[in-house]
Amino acid sequence: MEVRYRVRWPLTLEVRFQIRGFTALLGESGVGKTTLLKALAGLIPAEGTPFGGLPAEKRPVGYLPQDLALFPHMTAWENVAFPLRGKDRRERALALLERVGLGEHAKKLPRALSGGQKQRVALARALAREPALLLLDEPTSALDPVTKDRVLGELVELLKREGLPALAVSHDPLLAGMADWLVVLGRGRILQEGPPEEVLAAPASLEVARLLGYENLFPARVVPGGVEAEGVFLRLPLPPWAREGARAWLGVRAAEVIVVREDRPPPEGNVLEGFLERLHPEGLAYRGVFRGALTLEILLPRHVQERLRLEAGRPIQVVLKPRYLHLMPG
Amino acid sequence: MEPAFWTALLLSFQVALLASLLLLLLGVPLAWTLAFRPFPGKVFLESIVLLPLVLPPTVLGFYLLLFLAPEGPLFRLTGLAWAFRFEGLVFSSLVFSLPFALTAYREAFLALDPNLLEVARTLGVSRARIWTQVVLPLVWPGLLSGTLLAFAKILGEFGVLLMVGGSIPGKTQVVSVYLYDLVQALRFAEALRASLVLLALSFALILSVRLLERRWRAWRSATG
Repeated sequence: MEVRYRVRWPLTLEVRFQIRGFTALLGESGVGKTTLLKALAGLIPAEGTPFGGLPAEKRPVGYLPQDLALFPHMTAWENVAFPLRGKDRRERALALLERVGLGEHAKKLPRALSGGQKQRVALARALAREPALLLLDEPTSALDPVTKDRVLGELVELLKREGLPALAVSHDPLLAGMADWLVVLGRGRILQEGPPEEVLAAPASLEVARLLGYENLFPARVVPGGVEAEGVFLRLPLPPWAREGARAWLGVRAAEVIVVREDRPPPEGNVLEGFLERLHPEGLAYRGVFRGALTLEILLPRHVQERLRLEAGRPIQVVLKPRYLHLMPG
Repeated sequence: MEPAFWTALLLSFQVALLASLLLLLLGVPLAWTLAFRPFPGKVFLESIVLLPLVLPPTVLGFYLLLFLAPEGPLFRLTGLAWAFRFEGLVFSSLVFSLPFALTAYREAFLALDPNLLEVARTLGVSRARIWTQVVLPLVWPGLLSGTLLAFAKILGEFGVLLMVGGSIPGKTQVVSVYLYDLVQALRFAEALRASLVLLALSFALILSVRLLERRWRAWRSATG
């Protein structure tokens, strides 16, 4: 499904992108993610396809706002039955709750449900009107941080089973990894779209790289066989646009900066000498800062740190493997 | 208690009841409009509606009298002369109690989560259904407490009603005016008894408004 939309109020937005299966749209706060969803739902004035010109009541979309907006005075099944008509609305609502795996919670009020359960009730309510597209605003925000990954995974699984295209907007890169298609929204326009593995590995610009969580970004200049960044030559395969002397941005993820092990044969190039400025645990991994010719954020998995036993202040060598270096136009 | 007291009290109740029902009918849509719909001159309209809160009752009553008098603007427009009549009392009560009710209604509407209404619209149901199944079940305690407050205010009003209705026993003599007449005639014992009844009534009304608000707040925080 192709979306082409133009919004003038409350902010200016002109976008054109694809929705394929479970599509994640990432963007920083304030770029208009919620505005875009509301425009698609017909809740704020906008022009474009699909659904352009239809009032909200007539659009075949299911809209799940960030707080889910379950009717607080209705039980789960009454919420789901709200859009339904006819004598069998109770049976149909109960069947929908079964479909999202909440059959036994049908008689509970929203306040008695967990974040994930509320999300499923809201989903069942949206499914009740048989939408052609589902719109989800920050679907990870209602979830408990501990179970977020699992609950979100189950939701995505459920949507895929239903075969319903969905557009989920978020600033949480976690969502990007689970999506079939990834769209990146900048201020007022789309910056990049594509399969998530492609976009995540090769952001098209500095802005996208920042949004997708690239920790290390340097201005660079293209030289024969690689780039020079802050006076350091780094070898890497050059993309076609990178002419000699061109300005560029070099990005590398903290998790892809590799600490050289002394017991292994030395790597061939792109080795930097320096020392470990600091290192602190982050979940089960370790995050730290390497200071040498370049200052780099590094992220060590637990098993690597258990073997290397690094401490702050120690001299170390890191290697920037050419295939983990990503070059963007400057 | 002498029969004239009960007649006056009954009249006050009739005026208050009818005016309160009209308030619900007119005030609820007006409060909704003021709460959610932007339109030019909104602040101006709000100020006019709130004016009776600060205007001396005699000033308001005097203008209302001019408006409702025979040969007044209302008469010239519609042929109705409501001064010194039951209809005039109801109309005037509506005007001076509107700000009380309106403020309470608007607060009830503004406490509604706007997302609920937006989502309800995306679910493809009619406006009537959104009102009966979402809006009213969530705001009725606020509407009721606002109406009770206005009812109590009308029951106790003196200045405006005296200006507009005068003191015709059995016709426009409301209970507060009746009490004033008793004091003017130095019938203090009867005035005291009448005041006690009014005190008890007013207290019961305010108490029920407070209880309703408390229940509502507890219910909102439990559901929200």
